[in-house]
Amino acid sequence: MTEDILRVHDLSTRYFTQDGQVNAVSNLDLRIERGEVFGIVGESGSGKSVTARSIMDLIEPPGEITGGEIKYRNGEFAETVADEHPNAVNGEFVNLLELPPNVRQSLRGTSFSMIFQDPESSFNPTLTVGEQLAEAVEVQRRASARPRSTRARTQSEEYSLGNFLLSTVLPSQKYITEESRERAIELLELVGIPDPVERADEYPHEYSGGMLQRAMIAQALAGEPDVLVADEPTTALDVTIQAQVLDLLDELQEETGMTILLITHNLGVIARMCDRVGVMYAGEIVERGSLEDVFDEQVHPYTQGLLGSVPDLEGATRRLQPIPGNVPSLLDHEMDDRCYFADRCPKAMEDCLEHPPEFEVPGSDDHEVRCVLAEMEYAESRAVPDDHFSETSRTAADKHADPDRTEDDVQPQRAEQPVDDSGGDRL
Amino acid sequence: MSRRSGRPLVQVEDLQKYFWENDSILDRLFGDDPVPVRAVDGVSFDIHEGETLGLVGESGCGKSTTGETLLRLQEPTDGHVTFDGHEVYDLGGDELTAFRREAQVVFQDPFSSLDPRMTIGETIRQPLEVHDIGTDDERRERVRDLVERVGLSPDQLDRYPHEFSGGQRQRIGIARALALEPEFIVLDEPTSALDVSVQAQVLNLLDDLQDEFNLTYLLISHDLSVIRHVCDRVAVMYLGEIVEIGLVDELFENPDHPYTQALLESVPRASTDERDRDRETLAGDVPSPRDPPSGCRFRTRCPMVIPPEDLELEQETYRELMSLRERIERRDISLESVGDDGQFDADDGSVPDEDVPAFIAAVKERLLDVPLPPRHDAIVEEALAELAAENWEAAAERLRTEYESVCERESPDLGEQAHPVACHLHGTASERTAEPDSWT
Repeated sequence: MTEDILRVHDLSTRYFTQDGQVNAVSNLDLRIERGEVFGIVGESGSGKSVTARSIMDLIEPPGEITGGEIKYRNGEFAETVADEHPNAVNGEFVNLLELPPNVRQSLRGTSFSMIFQDPESSFNPTLTVGEQLAEAVEVQRRASARPRSTRARTQSEEYSLGNFLLSTVLPSQKYITEESRERAIELLELVGIPDPVERADEYPHEYSGGMLQRAMIAQALAGEPDVLVADEPTTALDVTIQAQVLDLLDELQEETGMTILLITHNLGVIARMCDRVGVMYAGEIVERGSLEDVFDEQVHPYTQGLLGSVPDLEGATRRLQPIPGNVPSLLDHEMDDRCYFADRCPKAMEDCLEHPPEFEVPGSDDHEVRCVLAEMEYAESRAVPDDHFSETSRTAADKHADPDRTEDDVQPQRAEQPVDDSGGDRL
Repeated sequence: MSRRSGRPLVQVEDLQKYFWENDSILDRLFGDDPVPVRAVDGVSFDIHEGETLGLVGESGCGKSTTGETLLRLQEPTDGHVTFDGHEVYDLGGDELTAFRREAQVVFQDPFSSLDPRMTIGETIRQPLEVHDIGTDDERRERVRDLVERVGLSPDQLDRYPHEFSGGQRQRIGIARALALEPEFIVLDEPTSALDVSVQAQVLNLLDDLQDEFNLTYLLISHDLSVIRHVCDRVAVMYLGEIVEIGLVDELFENPDHPYTQALLESVPRASTDERDRDRETLAGDVPSPRDPPSGCRFRTRCPMVIPPEDLELEQETYRELMSLRERIERRDISLESVGDDGQFDADDGSVPDEDVPAFIAAVKERLLDVPLPPRHDAIVEEALAELAAENWEAAAERLRTEYESVCERESPDLGEQAHPVACHLHGTASERTAEPDSWT
């Protein structure tokens, strides 16, 4: 058994919006082993991106990490920060949330890197790809020269104010040293871009989508990170290109032994890449375990619904079994203290009206589920009456709740009844 | 298949749609020739009444343009579309209005295809007003029926689009398309903006509506599993052309075209066996539709490109050589950067004679991953020697005489057989070349 590289405990991230407090991530526990690929899967608005951004410390106001611990295992790093921040250190683990922003910033790139969904909008269109990669390399070089701070050095000749002003007039390659440029080319070659020397001098618009995604992966690898957070890395790509990028990530992971936290809504990508999986719903992980636990032995009705919604590429045509209704509101005052899935769940029971803890599922070491069905059988006699939720919790659920995509989660009341008829009749 | 007569409801014949670049008055004045972007380049297919035809392909292959052009939302460059026996591009006046009633469209993005300043009641009512159907009361009644039919509540008619989720908005778009009781609906990526669970709801809804109203669908999608689930027949598009068309089960179980095979291989399956599945990934990107490859358009990426008959080479090696040729023909190798810094610099651009062998070795190492048999090694070296002297044409010519493939000389036809495939490996064309089994 390998050691844990990251332990997230009781993490809560909230957004304080005009409509009220949005519980994007609530009391989330997560454990990632060194060298594995951990997948988080969920629908839009389930909090999977916010989880990734919390780990990267990229939460911006009105969002805030309101509680919990993110513990990162790195003995060397623990020693360096032990003197100044003794509270944060516990053995080899460092609680990142106890560290000041500048120290956390120094971890970005060297310990944690991130690749984003949309490569076309993640690059600066006015700089060549080579320069942008070299920039990332430069930041890492300066950071490693003086650990624990990445504030730009202006003392040296290369980075003087005069030179900076000159670089605004002259082609800006001036601002980047020859070594970092060479390293950038090496990185481009590493991710399989043909002719890296010429390609480095091209602008993002001259790249295709798949190549830009490769370039972004190269940029993330510049600091040789321990943990790579990939947030929907292939969502914007065509299937043949998606296959190329997934192959690349697979190869790089084997070569460098880095840990990948893969976030996606595509169950196929999860099955292709991951060792262990967490299924997120309404800001919580509702089921977690090895790939086999979740895909073959799943307990939670949401996981079942998610897998039942995917049209099968190979099997005969059958009617899809969708989950009725929509993703719930995450506004604090609209979230009752119950299982958040109960209102869409075909097996909701009276026991579901209390918020379930995580139950261990027998038969596997690592399989946990936030559903009472792990402990008891579904009984018709205890079922919640159909109209229970439409009267109580749905009435106010009319405002948007998702911090990232404001329009996505609006839910007018009573929409669910007809939806049930059209979709859930064969469940 | 059709109940009224044997004639298909929609017949598309050799449809072309080019977009023109450099086509402004200024460009004309300066003498720049317009450049055609061949978005759709000669596609033909039939859609029978009551069936669902799927159109699948990667982004930029022209599938949406095909959908829009056959509805006459865009004027075609060439070709014919007949709808129920009438030539769509010759319609005018009342006939055109009648066609617009019969053929509707549901767009991809439910966030931008609804007017944010109209309530959904107004949105769904608008087609009825435009076509002047019914009295006010009848219209109101019809809108209420439609909204209920697509799974929303009539109480929501006074709400605005921003109050709805993506799946609900797509339902509104479907209700709007149904308002005029059309026979034929083009569904342009109806679920690609939706989450899987919501996508499943919408697909089931579309299925129910088809049964209920006897609708004919053209479903445009890049998602193969959606196509498999919903369609009766499928057409696969690549770079403006249809490469394979057939019944859905036949095409998914026995794909004949190498592109269809690659496409199916690439989709990650949501099952635990996925990691151990053997899969072959397609290399490279889709070429530009401004200057599509001659012959078969897929030949630049095709792992099964057909070598000349008497050539004794591994398929993989031949593929490598073809990729090298491709780059020489496109002049896509920068000679200055070959070798170490400035190793081969020369004033007039060509490499000095004494450096030529080293130059050839450097290029070969960079561009070819596989070792070549001696005879072919010699040919490649000759070609690269021409390259060292900046004779691109001669280098390309040298390789062309030796390695020209039937795939680039002749454009494969779809053919007339029951399961048409535009590939030289299949159908009539294969008889003229080597036996396909001899090299696969």
